[in-house]
Amino acid sequence: MTISLRFLRRLKKLREFFSLLVRNRMGLVGLAIIIFFLTLALFAPFLRTVNPTKVGTSENILLPPSSQFWLGTDDLAKDVWSQIVYGSRISLTVGFLAAIITVFTGSLIGLIAGFYGGKIGEVLMRIVDFFMMLPMLPLMIVLAAVLGPNIWNIIFVISIVSWPTTARVIRSQVLSLKERTFIEAARCIGASDSLLMFGEILPNVVPIMFAESVLMVTEAIYAEAVLSFLGLGDPMNISWGMMLHFAFESGTMGKAFWWVLPPIACIVILIIGFTFLGTAITDVLEPGYKEAHGF
Amino acid sequence: MSKRKNFLILSGTGVLLVSLSLLMVPFVPRAVAEEKPYGGRLRVGLPTGEFIENLRCSSDWQYIEMGCVLWPLIYDQLWIMGPAPDYEALSRLATSWESKDGQTWTFHFRKDATFHDGVPVTAEDVAFTLKYLPKASPAWAYPDVDCVSISVIDDYTVEFTLRKKHGGSYPPAYWFPILPKHIWEPYKDDMLSFSNDKAIGSGPFKLKEFKPGQYIWLEANKDYWGGRPYLDEVVFKSYGSDDALYMALKSGKIDMIGYDGCSPLVVDDFKKAKDIKIIDSPGIALYWLSFNLYKDTPLQDLNVRKAIMYGINRDKIIDVVYRRYAQKIDSFVYPELPEHNPNLPQYNYEVDLANEILDEGGYIDTDNDGIRNDPETGENLTFEICVPSAWTREIKTVRLIKEQLEDIGVSIIVKVLDEGTYFEFIYAPKEEKYEIALAEEEPGPHADWIWEFARSYEAGGEGWNTAYYNNPEFDRILDKMISETKRKKDLYRMQKILAEDLPYGFLIRPDIIDPVRTDKLEGYVATMGGVSTWINPWTYFKVHLKK
Amino acid sequence: MGLKEFVIKKIIAAIITIFAIVSVNFVIFRMAPGDPVRMMFRDPRISGEQMQLIREKFGLDKPLWGQFIFYLKELSHGDLGLSFWQRRPVREVIAERIPQTLLLVLTALAIAMISGTILGAFSGWKRGTRVDSFILALSLTMYSIPAFSLGIILLLIFAYTLSIFPLGGMTTPASGLTGLGYWKDVLWHMCLPAFSIVMWYIGEYVLLTRSSMLDTLRKDYILTARAKGLKESTILINHALRNALLPVITITGVNIGFAVCGVIEVETVFSWPGIGRLVYDAVMKRDYPLLQGLFLVFAISVVLANLVIDLIYGYIDPRIKVGGEKK
Repeated sequence: MTISLRFLRRLKKLREFFSLLVRNRMGLVGLAIIIFFLTLALFAPFLRTVNPTKVGTSENILLPPSSQFWLGTDDLAKDVWSQIVYGSRISLTVGFLAAIITVFTGSLIGLIAGFYGGKIGEVLMRIVDFFMMLPMLPLMIVLAAVLGPNIWNIIFVISIVSWPTTARVIRSQVLSLKERTFIEAARCIGASDSLLMFGEILPNVVPIMFAESVLMVTEAIYAEAVLSFLGLGDPMNISWGMMLHFAFESGTMGKAFWWVLPPIACIVILIIGFTFLGTAITDVLEPGYKEAHGF
Repeated sequence: MSKRKNFLILSGTGVLLVSLSLLMVPFVPRAVAEEKPYGGRLRVGLPTGEFIENLRCSSDWQYIEMGCVLWPLIYDQLWIMGPAPDYEALSRLATSWESKDGQTWTFHFRKDATFHDGVPVTAEDVAFTLKYLPKASPAWAYPDVDCVSISVIDDYTVEFTLRKKHGGSYPPAYWFPILPKHIWEPYKDDMLSFSNDKAIGSGPFKLKEFKPGQYIWLEANKDYWGGRPYLDEVVFKSYGSDDALYMALKSGKIDMIGYDGCSPLVVDDFKKAKDIKIIDSPGIALYWLSFNLYKDTPLQDLNVRKAIMYGINRDKIIDVVYRRYAQKIDSFVYPELPEHNPNLPQYNYEVDLANEILDEGGYIDTDNDGIRNDPETGENLTFEICVPSAWTREIKTVRLIKEQLEDIGVSIIVKVLDEGTYFEFIYAPKEEKYEIALAEEEPGPHADWIWEFARSYEAGGEGWNTAYYNNPEFDRILDKMISETKRKKDLYRMQKILAEDLPYGFLIRPDIIDPVRTDKLEGYVATMGGVSTWINPWTYFKVHLKK
Repeated sequence: MGLKEFVIKKIIAAIITIFAIVSVNFVIFRMAPGDPVRMMFRDPRISGEQMQLIREKFGLDKPLWGQFIFYLKELSHGDLGLSFWQRRPVREVIAERIPQTLLLVLTALAIAMISGTILGAFSGWKRGTRVDSFILALSLTMYSIPAFSLGIILLLIFAYTLSIFPLGGMTTPASGLTGLGYWKDVLWHMCLPAFSIVMWYIGEYVLLTRSSMLDTLRKDYILTARAKGLKESTILINHALRNALLPVITITGVNIGFAVCGVIEVETVFSWPGIGRLVYDAVMKRDYPLLQGLFLVFAISVVLANLVIDLIYGYIDPRIKVGGEKK
């Protein structure tokens, strides 16, 4: 088969995949949620009502929701709604970037380890196992504290801790693919290792990678929320976790529920969105799904 | 009338009067001898972060708020700072003291003090503590217990010679607990290794139970030489969050909040609550900006520092961050004390003046980015202000300063550090790791040591002086002041010098707001810093059940 | 490879892993900015000589390599060093906190595991029905909610507003309660934090059991059993469940291993005096010995848990027992 035919075939598969996904109720809900927050993030400067970093006047401190301040104000008279809007940027940026780095690194390692096997595979897997032994949260806390409160450090820290899981998953997928006949066939033709790896195996691994990335995003969003909540985030960059941190520290959490509930709601809903989407993807990818849903 | 009749009438009246008065005795109201009832339990809530984890004699007894409130209750001090407004030295274990030259001191102790295990307190215990405690940890190595020789004159007298003359209104040897020699002697070379689980002292309260990080339960020492305290028990409880603390106070689970009181954001809630009284005291903590004068930045130019000070709107900061529960300060001396110099140059919020000073100094915005430029290097006037991450309120202050200084063309980067790194940076200005730092100290009334912050760095100030300030004139006056008792003129002069030279830009003194429960107890004593601080154990001695 | 070789190989691997963890931890913490001596004595009074003395006492003046040897030597005596912050043996500090964390997490785990697996198995058994979708959606939601967020919400509702549960801590301070009364008090304090954790774990168990159940149900032997005409319940219990539960055992092992790490955020929100909160405090105070001790404890528990799981699997998996080579 020529390359272009194969490419077209893959494209058709992709289209099928997406239409199945959208029909899946869970996937739909997930997508809707994600699109909502993406809109918030992209159009933040237009959706906010007040500059979220500007400290207000003392009469406006800790006001409940009103027509002027849609979600009330915090202890420095900053508008909560505007902070939520801008906070979505942080969560999504951290989520996407960390997930991309994690999956990229993890897949690369998993691919190499699975494909070559033998000594290289063993060594790489030992490293992966070792990383998986490290307790994630404490390690993240330490690294974040060591490196300083900075959004790039948070992204780095999350990636460093999460890539092993992806590596494992990809590797087992690669292992099972390796045995399939089309690889044997390609080898007979004389295809080189890298061509095999990237040309044949990788495309078949992509669906799993996609599913993994989506799940990784949930991990990343969660991690950023926890680290910020514990005070390890950047206090100048308002994220939802940071809002919770300040609310918790201020001692006014009991009465200023408008300051506490929105960030929690956003974190939870966004994570749910990605989880639903991720589950939908894994479901769709399962053999037999197509048939079971009348295709 | 015959003489005999007169005599009879007189004596009869006398007898009548006497018997009548005797009969009246039961009906005369008793003299106002202290009829305060004994008993009751005072429950103090503290944030878990300020709670102690163990009873070792470590720096926790200095720097953890719980620590410095706790040990004066279990242990005795030689003398104690009296309540406001005089804060004079009152005798405690030491009944009297004298010194001819300010360097060799003789202290006399009471004879009736005993430790909680019954062993009497003698001069041996004092000498032992004086000798070994400062060695245990530098936290205890105050200059006023830095002795070159200590001798026990008799069972109740100790004489010691300090390395440096000690002047001022207070005797030396203030801040240290008298430890029982018979318990601590085996650990004398490494006192920190002793767990001190029973915490045997000679103070008005005994340790009943200690759960690290959770609560400390004290009971009254009925055999205390000063008479038992009114309270039967004192319990310190730890709460993980401020919310929990406030809730506990409102629901009656604690009677007061230890050390820092409550946040100004929640005062209004307490005002509405039943059985809760708000006690507002001027604070004991002073906040200022420390400028690193060693690093080669425009901060070395006095005009820039002046402009920065004029560009800060402290009224707004006090309004927004502290909800008006704070005051402005202009020196290391608290404004209500007699040693405070009332004629210091003031740096109030004057944006135009600030801009003028910078314009005249040649700091023009040459690249039109809104930030002034240094005429020599052309670089923007951008400075970092360091602040520890744990000081949430002060981070807000620095945020406001950043916003305000934008109006005078100075750009500020807020650098939040963890405490360890923060202190490392500011105490080593020559390492150039910081430019401006928001600094804080609690000198307490009539303190000497705070002035070491301005002693010339290259002449002994190293380790204290965070600004790398060098001024031999200041050192001269400082040394003179330390060795004297009459020091007002010197103190005035020193304050003036600092206000003019601006190595430190004094900012704010936050109030301490103490909401206290009044349903069962009364008699809370407030000094500067609130109802419970290291200079104020008086609340614990005076609080009693309502009649 | 036979069983014996398998076991030995796994044990050696575990030991190597622990050693590697210890070494890496050591390096990471030493690389951190911030001088621990300054941290110990944030006192301007401290002189250069005094700092030097303290450095020597804690072995901080030696080069990195020397410090490492020093640390290993102490470790071989079971001595985890002295905590900078609390000035007492790290062993003591950790030992004090572990039981509290274990109490909380293991209780929550037990509840979550039992209810989660039952729900998950049921859901998988009834795949495609409305009940299944409902349980699935619910569990996914539960799994997505970070435990501390749930904790905060529960606090706000049940502790602040309704005052049914306490605001935090493990016991009512200075209550004087003992025995049964004391434990009832602890239980009452444990409700909200445990509930937050349970909710999250239930989600995990349901999802896992369900997918494992689905996998198992597809297998041939189930088809065979059905063909044989066995009762549904017999099939469920004797055949499906037994195999479906294997991953559950694995994840439980992993969870137990990680249980020691404590659920840091939950412990923070509820001020539960456990080991999780200790990690955070230790980091903030740059207490290297304590941090190293903590990580060692975590690593050992995780590695041990994994080892046990591996050994159990090795015992169950006939391929290894018989001693034949794989494939």
